[in-house]
Amino acid sequence: MEVLTDFVTDDYLREFEVKYNDEIANSNGKPNDETVFQYAWCLTRSRLLSDVKKGVMFLEQLLASCKTDQAHKRDYLYYLAVGYTRMKDFTVARKYIKSLLQLEPGNRQAQELEKAIKSEMETEALKGAAMAGGGLLAAGALVALGMALLKKK
Amino acid sequence: MSSGPYNYSYIFKYIIIGDMGVGKSCLLHQFTEKKFMADCPHTIGVEFGTRIIEVSGQKIKLQIWDTAGQERFRAVTRSYYRGAAGALIIYDITRRSTYNHLSSWLTDARNLTNPNTVIFLIGNKSDLDAQRDVTYDEAKKFADENGLKFVEASAKTGENVEEAFLETAKKIYESIQDGSLDLNAAESGVQKKPTANGARTLSSENAEGRNPSSCSC
Repeated sequence: MEVLTDFVTDDYLREFEVKYNDEIANSNGKPNDETVFQYAWCLTRSRLLSDVKKGVMFLEQLLASCKTDQAHKRDYLYYLAVGYTRMKDFTVARKYIKSLLQLEPGNRQAQELEKAIKSEMETEALKGAAMAGGGLLAAGALVALGMALLKKK
Repeated sequence: MSSGPYNYSYIFKYIIIGDMGVGKSCLLHQFTEKKFMADCPHTIGVEFGTRIIEVSGQKIKLQIWDTAGQERFRAVTRSYYRGAAGALIIYDITRRSTYNHLSSWLTDARNLTNPNTVIFLIGNKSDLDAQRDVTYDEAKKFADENGLKFVEASAKTGENVEEAFLETAKKIYESIQDGSLDLNAAESGVQKKPTANGARTLSSENAEGRNPSSCSC
């Protein structure tokens, strides 16, 4: 799913970072929610994991302070799910996409993202199993080697 | 994720832009799924769609970024314009305000894409002729003055939807053929697959693999 794999270019990321920093400097440290959201959205599209983590942190702060505005809430939830999926933290990603689907059960974009998270999760689980399997084989080989060596003695 | 064999010679990147509620996502959905979505909620950020078409015997994969029309997304959706080979600017023929904002969308499209980007103007909701607020002639004149292709279309009935997407691709393909579009330029919005005639089937992994490299620029 492209929303999970596209990357922001550095110049755009910097543009929104500068805007965010300017607002912090010029407005007693309290930037506009919209500016924070724009910066956070770009951060979740970064190639750097540390940026993605920073992005979801901002989004979580926005979500926590967003009590009534449903339209904004859905944006935060959606990009939180995207961010956590990119971080491969599928449990949290699924929690957020479920909250969004509770808000808007028929939202096709959310449904598709939920599906994509699920399939990503399964892929990762398979990879994990393959690695664990590999580990077992390696351990088995070591035991066999050890036994062979013992026999030799 | 479908796993069928892919063979296409080119990838073209498109963007769809325009005011909120003009039917951008519905046009995309009609084009990719051949279905009309009634009651479609406002797009969150951006959506992506894809379809393989044929122009002059060449298979072309369209990668289409559909952007949210709400003002608060606009600053960020601009970051998707770069590297678009085609830009579809949509207005709603029953709402004049969406037509009045066209010059602002056009300015964005011109400033943020390359000179070869094909810009296509679509007046959506042509099925609602009784509620028409913008005449065909007026919009056609605007399109001509600005060197844009133009059709009125309906995401609901499907009228002219296919045509708009295909015409755009045809124009892009012409620019490739006559050499005015440099495929090696990072922001041409066009990628050529190594198998020019599609003789060899690409594995789905190759085809779907890392297309962000084409989208992120």
